[in-house]
Amino acid sequence: MQPSDRGKGAFRASAIVCCCLGLGPPVAGAAEIIVNDSVPSGHYSRADARAIFAMRQRLWPNGEQIKVFTLADDAQIHKDFVKNNLSMFPHQIRRAWDRMIFTGTGVAPIQLDSEREMIEKIMNTPNAIGYVSKKPDNAKIRLFDYQ
Amino acid sequence: MSAKSRTMRKFVYSIINKGLLLLTLACLPRAGVAAYLPDDMQVHGFLAQSLFHTSDNNLFGQSDDGVSLGITEVGLNTSYQPNERLNFAIQGLYRRAGDIDRGSFRVDYGLADLTLWEHDSGRIGIRGGRVKIPLGLYNETRDVAFTHPTILLPQGNYFERSRSLLTSGDGGQFYAERHTDYGDFTFKFNYVLPLGNNKEVRSILLGPYAQGEFTARPTVVTQLSYELNGGEYVFAVSFADLDLQYNRLGEDRFGAGHSLVQPLILSAQFNGEKLTLSAEYNKRRNVTEGYGAALPDRRFSTESWYVEGSYRFLPKWQATLRYDTIVANTGNRNGNGYEFLGLPQHAAFAQDWTVGLRWDITDSWMLRGEYHRVHGTLWLPDADNPDRLRTTQDWDLYGVQTSFRF
Repeated sequence: MQPSDRGKGAFRASAIVCCCLGLGPPVAGAAEIIVNDSVPSGHYSRADARAIFAMRQRLWPNGEQIKVFTLADDAQIHKDFVKNNLSMFPHQIRRAWDRMIFTGTGVAPIQLDSEREMIEKIMNTPNAIGYVSKKPDNAKIRLFDYQ
Repeated sequence: MSAKSRTMRKFVYSIINKGLLLLTLACLPRAGVAAYLPDDMQVHGFLAQSLFHTSDNNLFGQSDDGVSLGITEVGLNTSYQPNERLNFAIQGLYRRAGDIDRGSFRVDYGLADLTLWEHDSGRIGIRGGRVKIPLGLYNETRDVAFTHPTILLPQGNYFERSRSLLTSGDGGQFYAERHTDYGDFTFKFNYVLPLGNNKEVRSILLGPYAQGEFTARPTVVTQLSYELNGGEYVFAVSFADLDLQYNRLGEDRFGAGHSLVQPLILSAQFNGEKLTLSAEYNKRRNVTEGYGAALPDRRFSTESWYVEGSYRFLPKWQATLRYDTIVANTGNRNGNGYEFLGLPQHAAFAQDWTVGLRWDITDSWMLRGEYHRVHGTLWLPDADNPDRLRTTQDWDLYGVQTSFRF
């Protein structure tokens, strides 16, 4: 085994141990919120971003219905996004969604399997919003600007 | 058709119902659902099975000196939004809970939701059909195991015995939501006909000797809630005004009276990264009138409250400690005179210390266990304990539950 392979092996082993213990990787970054280019640009706040992803705010300022896409609860990027972009905790946003899903009072965001699928959806769905680890270079997708 | 074959047919239906639901659940892994459905339609579901053991008294079957199969809950829902102002949603629920409910399937909610006014800062609308009843922090999602930290909700506030009365109702709901920089307000006003009437409700109100039936009149249930920081702090006030008419039957010792039950619930919750603290206080005003000499007209208050702390000591593990207490009549905390109703004095109250441990194995699977030390027998179901005079004042309860969702 080459030294670098051993390094990889040790990293993989520690990742497995971390996963088994339910611990995420030690480094947590922020995600980037992206929107389809049909979304009106405006002065959005963090409270708006929260309300949009909690499915409380359903319309863009131009009256179009917001289409929200997310990744699985246990995806690291989802955890980073909720914590660092929304300043919430994953269990808080899950609580908000569950209250809607299981009482018939609202709908949950559409959950996707991968970042690749997320990029595809945001690119092809008017009024869509989602998040990725890094904004792709694509004319149909732009960053969601919020203060 | 003979009673036996009817029973058999019912059993087969229940197996088919359960089987179909389980099969559907198994075939619809969470992420897969989205892939096959149009974006404006969603399907979600859950399944939970719990087991209970008690040192004395029975809960959800023969749990005393044995293990009862506890509660089985299977739910499946779908929603469809034909346009941005209109949404349809329906949820079917199969539930089995010891001898209170030996297995039944029903529509938990089925509604049309019409948005009357919407702005990016809130909306106003109405929901019609069968709607969930907003009471306290958990009533609307009480059957969905994932939405609360312990298997049994604090029984002083969320009776299993009388759940059918206030789980959902037929009628309408007016709602208004407002999002501001200093928090989100939600107001709900239900005018519904409660669904449930069963022997447990009758026993709570009149004791085990009553033979007639209660009919509920249309009921107002309303809730105002306020959430700060996306649900970091939650405050709510809920109120219901239940009017139950009693129809006497046969050699009934009770006259055709009626009972008013008016719970006022104050709720508060803090949701931190690791710590969740919850507290609820419920004061129920009761009026009983017209039952004749067996039960003189009276007005009294039922009082219950609980405090609960949950700590996520690892991302997927949560430990919970709770104290929950209820007295049936604040003017008679020790149950004096209960023997005339066929009840022991300790049926007048219950104090419950609970410790629980929850493990969210994955997004979709959860396993949890809990221990209760209970003083008093107020919330024990009659169905599981037909002779209340033989119940024991101090008892232990152990429970485990596994649950799946998508």
